[in-house]
Amino acid sequence: MDIIVTLKQVPDPEAPKETFRIDESGMKILNPPNIDPVINGYDENAIEAALQLKEAAGGKVVAVSMGETGATRALKQAMAMGVDEGILLQDESFADADAASTAYVLARAIEKIGSYGLILCGRQASDWDQSQVPSGIAELLGLPSVTAVQKVALQGDTVRVERILEDGYEVLDIHGPCVVTVSNEANKPRYPTLKGIMTAGKKQIPVWDAAELGVDAAQVGSAGALTRVSKLYVPSFDGDCEFIAGETPEEMGANLALRLRELKII
Amino acid sequence: MEPIALDQLTDIDSMLTDDERLTRDTVRQFVAEKYLPIVGEHFEAHTFPDHLVSEIAGLGLLGASIKGYGCAGVNAVTYGLILQELEYGDSGLRSFVSVQGSLAMYAIYRFGSEAQRQHWLPRMARGEAISCFGLTEPDSGSDPGAMRTTARPDGDAYVLNGSKMWITNSPVCDVAVVWAKLAADDHQTVRGFLVERDTPGFDTPSILRKMSMRASHTGEIVLSDCRIPKENLLPASRGLGSPLACLNQARFGVSWGVMGAARACFDSALDYSRSRVQFGVPIGSKQLIQEHLVDMAVEIAKGQLMNVHFARLKDEGRLTPYQVSMAKKNNVRQALAIARKARSIHGASGISLEHAPIRHLLNLESVYTYEGTDEIHTLVLGRALTGLDAF
Repeated sequence: MDIIVTLKQVPDPEAPKETFRIDESGMKILNPPNIDPVINGYDENAIEAALQLKEAAGGKVVAVSMGETGATRALKQAMAMGVDEGILLQDESFADADAASTAYVLARAIEKIGSYGLILCGRQASDWDQSQVPSGIAELLGLPSVTAVQKVALQGDTVRVERILEDGYEVLDIHGPCVVTVSNEANKPRYPTLKGIMTAGKKQIPVWDAAELGVDAAQVGSAGALTRVSKLYVPSFDGDCEFIAGETPEEMGANLALRLRELKII
Repeated sequence: MEPIALDQLTDIDSMLTDDERLTRDTVRQFVAEKYLPIVGEHFEAHTFPDHLVSEIAGLGLLGASIKGYGCAGVNAVTYGLILQELEYGDSGLRSFVSVQGSLAMYAIYRFGSEAQRQHWLPRMARGEAISCFGLTEPDSGSDPGAMRTTARPDGDAYVLNGSKMWITNSPVCDVAVVWAKLAADDHQTVRGFLVERDTPGFDTPSILRKMSMRASHTGEIVLSDCRIPKENLLPASRGLGSPLACLNQARFGVSWGVMGAARACFDSALDYSRSRVQFGVPIGSKQLIQEHLVDMAVEIAKGQLMNVHFARLKDEGRLTPYQVSMAKKNNVRQALAIARKARSIHGASGISLEHAPIRHLLNLESVYTYEGTDEIHTLVLGRALTGLDAF
């Protein structure tokens, strides 16, 4: 079965927290200087799931990412891990997309790729954590979707998944093409191998722009966004220490309880 | 002001290709996830984490710079970056990979027959055959020409006698590259031989009670009328130049590796100096500590720049042994100084295996001596600059 994996580059979550920056007026998260963005962690789980399915049942794995030129590094890394092909979706008009307009471009690209039995995505992206794009893709392509799975397996053309619930998991069988989002419980992504890195380094990554995809300009990037960020800020956590007085530990405890009730904390 | 990470400050990444960075980051992640959590225990227990060999091989790190035979054939910068990240973990981990790749596999690749290459290199790359490199002897270190190990032709065999000392991986090796003087030869030419583990007369006792390289297998090779088939001679090996060519590969790797060790010490010292409070402030706010940290950072930056420069020359086929001596001598010496400063910044905690510097400091004492001592590299460079031999 041929599998398509969607990838997103995000600011490196391992970067020192003091390097975190936002552009409050532009409503953007800024990538820290000199620290390369990385593949979203859940997307690596999706890649690993796809590669395991390929190893078990054959087929081809294609990774697709909408992003700037730097996203080719994410696609190369996926290919170094074992993904067969990478495709970059890039156009000036794709900038400042929200989940809806991102899903639209990815859906059009998936239609253009054509051959697939399964679309795997990360359960969410670690920058905005919205978990909207995969469901958007499924909606636009008219496909069933299952979110946040901890296991995905193939039985012929049937995709069997374990969907994580609050108190356990449920097993679902999905027939035909579908969208599945993979959670970190599913696997431990493999390291790229040296041979994989060298092979991927020699491969060309096709770039599909708006014209190539034949997309409606009104539905991509900021033009196609259905949501608007009204305020973006780094919350401040101010600490204030108040000592509770009392003659004895018991009295201090009682006074503490009274003070907490006064503050409506208990 | 907010601190700037050393890599950001130097922007070393701008000198590297995407593939080189991805390789470095992959090995860095592997070391952080799989090796750093256990290295202290192995160092203390005097053991090597043998269970990681298959994963190291799976990543393609064994013989990575060899072209063909199941090896990746990476460029010199990539190979250097691999060793740098491995030695960020421990010199013992880097030594394992260096000996397998730069010494033993390289010796077979460069001086072996096609049949030997086909037989050994793929299984060595897969980590299925572990190897060692026997040159140093109890009475012959910096003067390998004084070696006493001999190979005597006898019918369809060579009979090897002698002993080798301080041989990384020997206690666990499946095959040893042994350098010996051909007894039938009037000139007693040094040749290379492959000795397999189960050959009668081949013994590899471990060297115990080491205070350095404790997370590494180190042993002897004892050859007592050890009879090997004639086809186990490395046919293209001839003279001391052959093992020295292998050592030149390994020394190049050492100069990269030790910058990883230095970096590990620097990172630990920087972290500690920002969190350790004395006299009511982090010790990193004191000028004496800052001077140490700055000196360490500057030497790491210089060492890395020299490494990248010489590696690019190596890829162009222009690297000379003098340049390798310069990089090995400088970088090991600086790494050792950095480890000492880092140990000192950690105060009493610095003698604990909870922190990396004491482990690296002890290891680097070995690295200072092996692969050509600091003194020998000084003589090599002194002769090159003056034209006068001071050996």
